[in-house]
Parts: sequence; C-alpha cells; structure tokens
Amino acid sequence: MKRFAGWTLASPATVLVVVFLVLPVLATIVTTFTTPDGPFATYAAFFASSFRRTVLFRTIQISLVTTVIALVVGFLTAYVVSRAPGWLKSILIIAAVFPLLTGVVVRSFAWLIILGKNGILNSTLLNLGLIGEPLTMLYTQGAVIVAMVYLFVPLMILTLVGVLESIPDDLIQASASLGAKPIATFMQVTLPLAVPGLIVGAVLVFTGSFTSYATPQLLGGEQVMMMGTLMYQQAMVTFDWVAASTIAAVMVVITIAIVLLMTRVARRLNPMVT
Amino acid sequence: MKNVIITVLAVSAAALLSAVPASAQGKTLTISWWGFNGEKLEAIVLAPFRAQCGCEIVFETGNNGERLNKIQIRNGAGVDVAYFSDSFSQQGIEAGLFQKIDPSKLPNLAGIYDLAKDPQGGYGPAYTIGRVGIVYDSAKVTTPITSWNDLWREDLASSLSLPGITTTAGPMVVMKAGEHAGVDAFADPDAAFAAVDALKPNVVKNYNTGSEMINLFSTGEVSAAIAQDFTLGQIQAAVPTVVWADLAEGSIATLNTVNIPVGAAEPELAYEFINFILSPEIQQQLAEQGVDAPVVTSVTLTPEQAALWTYGADLIAGLQRIDYVQMNAAKGGWVDRWNEIFGM
Repeated sequence: MKRFAGWTLASPATVLVVVFLVLPVLATIVTTFTTPDGPFATYAAFFASSFRRTVLFRTIQISLVTTVIALVVGFLTAYVVSRAPGWLKSILIIAAVFPLLTGVVVRSFAWLIILGKNGILNSTLLNLGLIGEPLTMLYTQGAVIVAMVYLFVPLMILTLVGVLESIPDDLIQASASLGAKPIATFMQVTLPLAVPGLIVGAVLVFTGSFTSYATPQLLGGEQVMMMGTLMYQQAMVTFDWVAASTIAAVMVVITIAIVLLMTRVARRLNPMVT
Repeated sequence: MKNVIITVLAVSAAALLSAVPASAQGKTLTISWWGFNGEKLEAIVLAPFRAQCGCEIVFETGNNGERLNKIQIRNGAGVDVAYFSDSFSQQGIEAGLFQKIDPSKLPNLAGIYDLAKDPQGGYGPAYTIGRVGIVYDSAKVTTPITSWNDLWREDLASSLSLPGITTTAGPMVVMKAGEHAGVDAFADPDAAFAAVDALKPNVVKNYNTGSEMINLFSTGEVSAAIAQDFTLGQIQAAVPTVVWADLAEGSIATLNTVNIPVGAAEPELAYEFINFILSPEIQQQLAEQGVDAPVVTSVTLTPEQAALWTYGADLIAGLQRIDYVQMNAAKGGWVDRWNEIFGM
C-alpha cells in the first residue's frame, strides 16, 4: 500500500520528466536510425570523417583536462573553506559563488580581455620585460580550458564544501590519535569520504564542458571546434538535422558512459558509494 | 459647446479610421528579421506603417540560419514577411518556403535598381544592397591592400580574420581562393582549398558575426578582414584608421531580400509592407540614418552619408555577382573541407 502511494505521488513528476525530457531526446535519436541509407549510416558517416573524429576526441580531451584541473582546484579550495571559521567561510563561499551571478557569455568574454594580444596578461608580461612581443593565447585549446575551469570551479567548490563539512571532526582526531600523520589522515580518511562529492562534481564539470557551446565558440572558434559548435553548425547552417541529431546521440552515449565509468571508479575508492 | 466638441472628436476619429483600409484593421503582420537597429526601424518604418495599415506588427528575430530553420520546421507558415540575406533566401526558395511575387502589387518596384527588382527569379525583391570586400587597419598594414590576392601576402601573417564558412561571405572566400589559384572553385575545389590552406598562416580567427569581427579589430587581434560594408562604420568607430580596400577586381554584391512565405497568413498586408519599405521616402530616411543602403535610384545622399554605403549607379554596376544556386549546392561539401583546414 505504501509503495502504491509512493508511485501515485511520484507519477505527475515522472510523467512530466518523461514527456518533456526523455521523449524529445528519444525522438531526436530515433531520427538517426530511420534514414534511407540504413539504421547506422549516419553513425558510419560520422566516424568515417577524420574531422569529426578529431572534434570528438578534442572535446573529450578538453572536458577531461578541465575536469581534472577543476577537481584539484575545487577540492583544495573547498577544503580550506570547510575548515574556515564561520564568518570567513561565508565570505569565501560568496566569493566562490560570485562569478555564477553573471552569464556564461560574460564570463567567457572576460577571458578575451585577459588573454588578448593587447590584454591584461600580455601587457603585464611586456611591462615586466618577460616577453618581447605579445603571446598568442586566444583561440587555442589552452584558452578554452582556462575559461572552462573558471566557469565550472564554483560548481565543484559548492558540491565539495557540503561533503567535506559533513565529515565528522571526531574521525580526523581519531585518525591522528592513532598515530596517522596529516597526509595519511587526508589520504585514508578525508579523501575516501569525499568521493561521493568528487564524483558528483566531476560529472557536473565533465558534462558541462562536454556540451558547452558559448565558451568554445568565443575563445576557440573554428580552430578549436568542439561537439557543441559542430552540432550548431550542422543544424543551423547546413540544415542537416539528421547529422546534428547523430552528434547529439553520440554526445548522450559518451556522457552516459563517462558517468558510469566515474561511478565505477567511485565504488572502488569508496565501497559505500551506491 | 460640449456636444460640439464631442461631435468634432467623433467625426475626426471616424475620419481617421476611414483612412485605414478596412481589410487591414484588426490584422496582425508577422515579420521575421534580424532585430538590429530596432529603435530606428520602429521610428522610420514600423510606426508609420502601423498608422497606414491600422494593423498590429509582431516579430520573430534571430540570425539567418535560425529563422530559416523555424520557417522550414513550420512548412513556410508563421511569418508574413521574411528578411534574409540572399544566400539564405535562395536556400528558402530551393526548399519551397517562399511564394512567387506578383510585381503588379508592388508599384514601388519601378523606382529601384534593376539588380534589386528580381534577384532570384520571381521571388522577393532586395530592399538594400551591400558588398563584401576587404577592410584593413592602415596604421598597421602600411602597404595598401589593392587586390583580393593581397590576402596571401606574407606581411599579413597572423593578422587576418576571414568570415566563417557558415556565414554569408564565407563561401565567397573559397571562390576568391579559386581565383587566386587560377581556377573556378566549383569546377576544381581541390585547387581552391589548397589556396585556402595556403591562406591559413595569415588567419588569427574566423568570425561568425559582424560584432565578433569588430571586436577582433578593437582588441588588436587582427588588422585585416574580409567584411561586409555594413560593419565599416562600427569598425571605424572602434579603430578610426581602418579603411575599405579599393580592390582592382571589385567587391562582391550582397543583397538582402524580403520574401513572403508560402504559409503567410496575411499576404496582402505583406505586399503592402514590402511596397512601403521600397518607397523613396522610407529608403531615404533609412540611408540617412545609417540603417541600410538604398535600392531606390532617386535617393540622394551627401558624400558623408554615402561613405558607408554601396551607393550610386556606377558603384553598383561594378559589383561582382554570385550564383547562389551553384554555391548552395556546393556548400555542404565546402563546409566539411573548410572545417578540415581550420578545425583540425
């Protein structure tokens, strides 16, 4: 009876999710299997193109590098924030969340000003005499990764602060009282208990990076084309919706695969993870 | 006295209403356009047209691709008048999205340049005319650019921006690369794309919107670009030393057309609107106030007003034309080849 009541209460939300989220994605993917050339023709064409393969691997590479850097930076920051006294913690969290108050385009645009030929970074290096002429930093993979890390680190911090705060101080003290050095305590107590937060943060950052459009478009352009920009090009310029849907399907499959892989890794690191 | 005033007001209101075609009252005209220069277009075009037709006007805004996609998804319905650059309106024509125009319903067609009257075989006229050429910062590029072939010069290394292949002017780069290689890009794309590849060392970034290109100039990232002339004023506002190159081979004509989709709910109102924007008075105001170049031959501009525009019979006669049917047919393959050069 309880189970029935639970299903009844959940059914309106479930119907909404299925109708407005799941069905449109399925409808998009179905179109890729119903072409006159056969069910897998569009996928064969996608993977036969060296350019599309390059874009796919580049997107995975940039997303993974962004995720790893965001994990390191986010974890260190979140650790400091979680250990800070109350008033300082509030200030640090506000500082971390502050960039989220502006749009993705604005935050990406800021990096145009920082990394440009006449930008803040080049001007500083020139004034210090460290370089003789401006460096080309924009429209490179490095520029895209830097901007993506900046975009997603706040999410990682917010995710991890809650997890790190929930680790009881008693455990840390117990570890120390049993003779563990701070590094051993960190590696054997803090880090394993933070794994759920790390996985959630990593999934958020990876999927965000993998599907991003504005940042690669502004800071990478055609030279650093990613899956999102390629999909836009196919849909809005060549009007090839089947090709665009194929790209979307490939992105969905890879995202699911990465999430499953991360969950598996998390289970190994911490068997408590479900 | 009070009754007299009320009577006068009532008669005035009736007179005003009778001036509006009865058929247009209560109707809604839906326009699909870019959304740029909204305030000026409201003052010059929309407010007087509302007064003329007594109708409501609603909009669909966005770039060419997005809006054409929407019309295509709706099988040519949802919009009464569609503004597009000619490469995109040609795609709409080929997809069967636009209806043929009855010239007898557009009396103002008689007053516009022949080039603009019927650029696409019976579909919408062009309401403005522009050109694609080269702009460069004369303070940085000390040897003037005088030919399309100059784009390959070594002194332009890492200082050039090309329009992306997905923009209106992008495929024109391939055509010019073909000419640089001494071939027709449609007949020998291999040679044309080899020339595009040779141009790559000069390219900093390819742009997808005019504002992106203007930004590249203003931040000093580039000192030369292939551009459409409507961006010149804004580039010069950011970098006053930027000039329009006087090219020996001439610039390329670009036309912006107005079309009536096949599913237009108010085609008669659409005709009335198109005829309105082709009137000498409206075209004069649009040109004077920096919105669009005129296609009406009787529009007269001062040299300062004309400086930004593709203006005058001689200039227009010297423009190169593009066969968009041929170009659109080749575009899909060109996009892939272009991506392989710039995206690998």
